[in-house]
Amino acid sequence: MNKATLKRMTRRTEFWIFLVLVIMCIGIQAASGGGLFKSSTVVTILRSMVVDGMFAMCCLVVMVSGGFDLSFPAVAALAYSLATTICVNMGWCATNPIAGLLLATLIGFVLGMLNGWIIANFKLNTMIVTLGTQTFFTGVSMGLLQMQEITSTLPLGFRAMGESYLFEVYNEAGIRSTMSTMFLFFVALAAVTSFVLNHTMFGRALYAIGGNEVSAERAGYNVKRVKFILYSVVGAVSGFIGMIRVCMERQSIPKAMVGREMTIIPAVILGGASIFGGEGTVFGTICAVGIITVVSNSMLLMGIDTYWQSFFNGLVILIGITVSAVQAMRQKR
Amino acid sequence: MSEYLLQMTGICKSFAGVHALDHVNFAIRPGKVMCLAGENGCGKSTLVKIISGVYTRDEGEVVFEGNPISKITPAEATRLGIQVIYQDLSIFPNLTVMENLAINSEITEGKKFVNRKRWEATAKEALSKIGYEIDLQAKMGELSVADKQLVAICRALLFNAKLIIMDEPTTALTKREVDALFKTVRQLKDSGIAIMFISHKTEEIFEISDDVCIMRNGKNVYAGPTAELTRQDFTFHMTGRELTDDHFVPKNISKEPVLKVEHLCQKNKYQDVSFELRKGEILGVTGLLGSGRTELALSLFGLGKPDSGTITLNGQEVKITSPIQAQKLRIGYVPEDRLTEGLCLQQPIADNITLSSLKRLSKAMGFLRHQDILDDANIWKEKFSIATDDVRRFASTLSGGNQQKIVLSKWLSNDLDVLILNGPTVGVDVGAKQDIHHLIHELANEGLAVIIISDDLSEVVVNCSRVIVMRDGSIVGELTGSDIPEEDIIEIIR
Repeated sequence: MNKATLKRMTRRTEFWIFLVLVIMCIGIQAASGGGLFKSSTVVTILRSMVVDGMFAMCCLVVMVSGGFDLSFPAVAALAYSLATTICVNMGWCATNPIAGLLLATLIGFVLGMLNGWIIANFKLNTMIVTLGTQTFFTGVSMGLLQMQEITSTLPLGFRAMGESYLFEVYNEAGIRSTMSTMFLFFVALAAVTSFVLNHTMFGRALYAIGGNEVSAERAGYNVKRVKFILYSVVGAVSGFIGMIRVCMERQSIPKAMVGREMTIIPAVILGGASIFGGEGTVFGTICAVGIITVVSNSMLLMGIDTYWQSFFNGLVILIGITVSAVQAMRQKR
Repeated sequence: MSEYLLQMTGICKSFAGVHALDHVNFAIRPGKVMCLAGENGCGKSTLVKIISGVYTRDEGEVVFEGNPISKITPAEATRLGIQVIYQDLSIFPNLTVMENLAINSEITEGKKFVNRKRWEATAKEALSKIGYEIDLQAKMGELSVADKQLVAICRALLFNAKLIIMDEPTTALTKREVDALFKTVRQLKDSGIAIMFISHKTEEIFEISDDVCIMRNGKNVYAGPTAELTRQDFTFHMTGRELTDDHFVPKNISKEPVLKVEHLCQKNKYQDVSFELRKGEILGVTGLLGSGRTELALSLFGLGKPDSGTITLNGQEVKITSPIQAQKLRIGYVPEDRLTEGLCLQQPIADNITLSSLKRLSKAMGFLRHQDILDDANIWKEKFSIATDDVRRFASTLSGGNQQKIVLSKWLSNDLDVLILNGPTVGVDVGAKQDIHHLIHELANEGLAVIIISDDLSEVVVNCSRVIVMRDGSIVGELTGSDIPEEDIIEIIR
């Protein structure tokens, strides 16, 4: 590794985020008297990263293109509530959850298409558009469709998939922790996202649009089409993730996702995605989600009051955004 | 095969009934540099957009390499070998040089997947066209404007360009960078590529171009070899009026200096600067970029504290610690980059003019009357003949010269003793430039003490009765007289 590459590496946010994650883990390990690096804790942390980590991938690709998606929790909520209700009423998914997953993905796709259509055609600020659709989707779910909580009547297929695991570990008290099969979806989505961003012209188009939309258009990218596809796919994936969450939690609660974007977007920014677009990597995003998950888990582990969790989450968010802004300022100079 | 690469005759284009282009005739020879000149809003960019296929012409004929072209689309323009380098260069600051170079051809070839080996080959090929070397992995946003420009040129060359259109490429460049760019332009010219160079800077046009096409109000008023044109003719064609260099002759200089600077130092910026300024005088401060001229001005306006030395204003020693205080001391400063530092473009003209005099206009308890603001703004509109029908329009609707007038009136609407102008006519076309100069002369004769900081020597010579020259932070010369020869300044400037 030569000097220039090393310099370039240390200038990247990802590098620092990774360093912070490592140092923090060592610190917590020491402070909690060896509480962190135990198989059971590690499994719990990885498990709780699945849903947030997957949503973070959706957020990442949107932010790379210079946009913001505030509507993904509402898309996910509407998709899984509706899909679960349909499955319950039709008596589907008693053994196999595939129909439910496909249904939620399809619903998410349709909702995402609405986002994409508005954003691509009217060239509106993405944050405003998705704020609007977020409220609209929640309204559709709660008011128009009167979505109810589904817990005990949840189709057995969902339950079975949520409970399936890759391996299990026990802590000293003999309590079992399982590595959910759902973790594989997270790994797969991260791998696909990384591939798309780095190795396809579609991914490069997102970076180009995020960097300079006018130039991207002049260079020959069909910006309208790229945006439409982006938001549609993000909608579909959000619906899918929502369903994964239902399986893992073994319940479908229409309101459960409210406000989720406000913890995930900052995590993605912390991971090196620029609020101005054009920057961001899968690795950095995963590290940032890791930091936030480790912090909240460790606080639970150490018996710290949950209010302090908000305090810390807020702090992490502020630091992340400030660093991002300072870097953008430096680049302008 | 005709002697021309591109020939356009009788081109017309209207927008909503307004003639943007009115029977424009225009031709480019291969291997020549053709300058398209004209004041802001004369139709230059419309013409470029017709050539590049962004707009479709209403009337007229286009002949490229002897073949009539009925309809130009952007794709067709690229296929013909026409490349436009826009003023913003159309680059991606967040991506590497390599990707910036390769991206266009990758898209044109309809590639779906990334192949960094191929990118590298494309990028290297592009750089080799003008023998330019740069780190391919460097981020585009971290390069200097000049480097960005060269990358953009290399990218254009990838498409076997026969005609490269450069839209005001020298705007953000220093003199040295302009020279380097011109070297590249000549290199391209020698390889048979035609260059269409858009500019309104007289000196540059005479330096680089073989042919020139001057436009005014949507018509081309002159087209022909540059050599057959004198500078006076050129200015006349550009503005439609005879402009003469009116040298400033101070009429009433006060006896006592209003501003006295003694042994002023700021570490690593400037050292031991002393000068006096009287009312009614225009003092020029010139020097190369980095000579400390701007830093000195900023210190006088309370931005950048001097380490030692004294500033005396009207006989009293003062410490200027902030722009607010500077304004209280009746010192005004008009920054170099009027667009980013001096104007709120998306605000009405009236609000911009009155921005620094709101205190004077406000009634008891700080309430403002809208009508007072408009009245005040209208006074300045008349005085400076700002070209607008309504001061409630946004500042962005005005041309560069008129925007500069707003910035000036903003400062002058407060009573001032000293006005510091940093590059007052940067990016302003000749006509508006002279209007601004006349205005400054008038103000000085009304008793204002003016400092003009500029590296445009002709501007310094025309306006200043006294010039101090700075080099590496020190004053290296002072020249007095109403007609200081430019050569004298050049001799001591370097």
